Amino acid sequence: MLRKETANKFREIVGKDYYLDSVEDLISYSYDSSATEAMPDAVLLPGSTEQVSEIMKVANEEEIPITPRGAGTNLSGGSVPLKGGVVLVLTRMNRLLKLSRENRYAIAEAGLINLELQNHVKKEGLFYPPDPASWTVSTLGGNVAENAGGPRGVKYGVTRDWILGLKAVLADGRIINAGGITAKNVTGIDLMSLFTGSEGCLGIVTEITVKLLPLPAFQQSIQAFFPQMDATSRTVARIIGSGIVPVALELMDKVVMNMVEDSVHIGLNRDVEGTLLIMVDGEEATCKQQMSAIIKICKEEGSSDIQVAKSAKEEDDLWLARRSAFGVMSRKKPTCILEDCTVPVSNLQAMIRGTSEICDKYNLTVGIMAHAGDGNTHPMIITDKRDKEEWERVEKAISEIFQLTVDLGGTLSGEHGIGISKKPFLPLIMNEDARRLMVEIKSVLDPKGILNPGKFIE
Amino acid sequence: MNMMGKEKPLLSEITSEHVYHCAKCGLCLDVCPVYRETLVEAFSPRGKVQLAKHIIEGNIEITEHMNDILFSSCLLCGSCVAACPSGVRQDALFSSLRWRAAERYGLGFTKKLFFQVLAHGWMMSTSAWFGKWIRKIFSGEWIESRIKFGNLPIDGIPPMNPKPFNDEFPEIVEPKGVINARVLYFHGCATNYVFGDIGRAVVSVLTRMGVQVEIPKKQSCCGLPIFMSGDRKTSLICIKEVLGMFAREGVDAVIVDCATCGSALRNEYVHILKELHDLGEEVDEDLIKAAEYLASITMDVSEFIDAHFDWLPEFPPATSEKVRVTYHDPCHLLKGQGVGVQPRHLLKTLPNVEFVEMEEADSCCGGGGEYQIEYPEMSALITNRKVKNVLVTGAELVATGCPGCSITIGAHLPKDNVKTIHTVQLIQMAMDGKGSE
Repeated sequence: MLRKETANKFREIVGKDYYLDSVEDLISYSYDSSATEAMPDAVLLPGSTEQVSEIMKVANEEEIPITPRGAGTNLSGGSVPLKGGVVLVLTRMNRLLKLSRENRYAIAEAGLINLELQNHVKKEGLFYPPDPASWTVSTLGGNVAENAGGPRGVKYGVTRDWILGLKAVLADGRIINAGGITAKNVTGIDLMSLFTGSEGCLGIVTEITVKLLPLPAFQQSIQAFFPQMDATSRTVARIIGSGIVPVALELMDKVVMNMVEDSVHIGLNRDVEGTLLIMVDGEEATCKQQMSAIIKICKEEGSSDIQVAKSAKEEDDLWLARRSAFGVMSRKKPTCILEDCTVPVSNLQAMIRGTSEICDKYNLTVGIMAHAGDGNTHPMIITDKRDKEEWERVEKAISEIFQLTVDLGGTLSGEHGIGISKKPFLPLIMNEDARRLMVEIKSVLDPKGILNPGKFIE
Repeated sequence: MNMMGKEKPLLSEITSEHVYHCAKCGLCLDVCPVYRETLVEAFSPRGKVQLAKHIIEGNIEITEHMNDILFSSCLLCGSCVAACPSGVRQDALFSSLRWRAAERYGLGFTKKLFFQVLAHGWMMSTSAWFGKWIRKIFSGEWIESRIKFGNLPIDGIPPMNPKPFNDEFPEIVEPKGVINARVLYFHGCATNYVFGDIGRAVVSVLTRMGVQVEIPKKQSCCGLPIFMSGDRKTSLICIKEVLGMFAREGVDAVIVDCATCGSALRNEYVHILKELHDLGEEVDEDLIKAAEYLASITMDVSEFIDAHFDWLPEFPPATSEKVRVTYHDPCHLLKGQGVGVQPRHLLKTLPNVEFVEMEEADSCCGGGGEYQIEYPEMSALITNRKVKNVLVTGAELVATGCPGCSITIGAHLPKDNVKTIHTVQLIQMAMDGKGSE
């Protein structure tokens, strides 16, 4: 519970309608898409950067934990208020402030939904590449905080690669601007990169300037089915190794495919062991050339069935199926633990095989999906958190999967962030001095430790 | 309310297990008409599922605030159900919780009276009187200019039928010539009292397809508005009557012209009856079987016509200019019954129609039956979005398959420019070789 005086100060800043503290409201901001939950003491929905700044002044003064949140779709617990305090929800700040066709950038408030930005810029013949599976709901602010990726990451990278500038509120309420609107900018330390992926631990990002591309003239998707998983992952390495840069190169195993088909009914082949969903974009002639080279490799690796999307609708269906994959896993068992271990693409085959072996050893059901083109695997272990004995096995398996990732030259997170769940494994990948440097940086920006406490920087 | 101890469980297992299958992925947020306007999580489907979990586990009670959330933030449109990759039946969960909430907080006098009228067929026996009474109350310039039914402007509501549709026809209407099929026609309250034209179009089109149409007398309300408000006890009267009259062997289909009634017959009865049965209420297995059977033979009229497209006589060539028509997907038709391709296919085949798709055709109209009366502000926000999307198309007619959506959208469209119409009426007009009027 916040003190009455504090609550009143917050009410005055955001207006009484946007200060929430009923038990129902607190519960509904106690979770995100990860497994951990924790109750806040109050929820604030500010309407402007200035309000965020005023809130931070009060919070800093009174040392109240602040956990920023967008749509709450992150998978690592980044927006769960572990230490209580205030959940600062930025969904109301959802305006597109500027869209420049000639200079190819857009400025948006942090609460703007990714897909809404995509739709706005598309009308101007422009393109914003990052496309997390949650893009119909997740906010740009959340995308920046978690440094979100998406299927198009193979060609276009993660959110960080598209940020030209930021406006952020620091722990004590000061407002800073980082970067600008120009395509090139090497002025000063790269503060945008510092904030991008900081999971709300360093400041509250309230405005974002993103770089845009001209909309590709053409795109095409195919889906290839394989009788063996090894051949599926080998195909990935061969495509990438051949010098082709597809937009997206997604892999799903039999378990995932069957559950997706149960949900969307688009006629996925249920009997094969692995499938690749591949997209290329660019000039039509180049795309067709690339696609035929890709199809040739798939056939050489024994693909039994290759389907080419013939219309925009068919393309949409294929990608909708992919985006719903996380949710569909909960059909069989209530809890789905989704990790995003990333390895060099040449080690993808070993990573997938090893993950399956570990889950077999602990007698767990796992569905494997991967943004395969960039070595980013998404093993999804389904369980029931109410089953304590099985939950222990899940935890053991996850820790072995992380060790395997590191052994294969990989990293803990390709695009979801560290948050709560992966925090214990940081030492596997960052040495003590590197971890201490993160703590030291945080202590400069947030000396009282009020910003998203309990998360990965501690 | 607490599940500990020997108290009866709040919800049956078939309903409560759903809360554990929510992955909290959030893909229901952007399809929820209320969340899209409020951007507040407690009003989202995911939020309410998580709240339901806490209620079921006994961590919190159904507070007055929760009662308000259950009713004010949900039109029970089922958009979240259709979008949920995990297969969670949010509609079943929320409607069950409304039932428990209504037991606790009551229904309010107007609702209580209205539901008794619907359930006991008082409207049926006294309908002529009722119609006159309603018009007398809600007519006259002065009243029309001042009264609003929630978000519904009174002068935008169509007048009542001079006499109930059900009285216009004999119980069995024979087609001319060969009989291709025999169907029962469930016309619902809207057609019976307000949209007689829709009923006449259904009979006219079906009989010209060689279908024998039986229109059982003294049909009851489907019960949906009653159980959606949480009054399951009263709704059981309707459900039993409908099952008794329509879950009948020897017919090829039960035809429904109202998306909402259709989804009641197809989706809701079985769940409600099973849940009541599991909780030890007086519902026997035969009733559940009857509901399952009825669900299996019920079809929306556009779905039926499309499935038997070859029975349609050839349309005469259009005599006048084509009418520009767009189509609104009623939530209870597209998301509840999976019917969306069929009406579009029909409309595109009609010689007198130029079909144009609107943006967000599948988003809710904001009506939600009583919702627009009880929560006019939220309803208005949702309806405005719909009306805007309609107007952009430049269509003269908005075809749809739900009288409820027709009333809501129709009442907010600029008069004289755009009108709503049932898909089956357009088919009738095409058969008659007519244009827009």
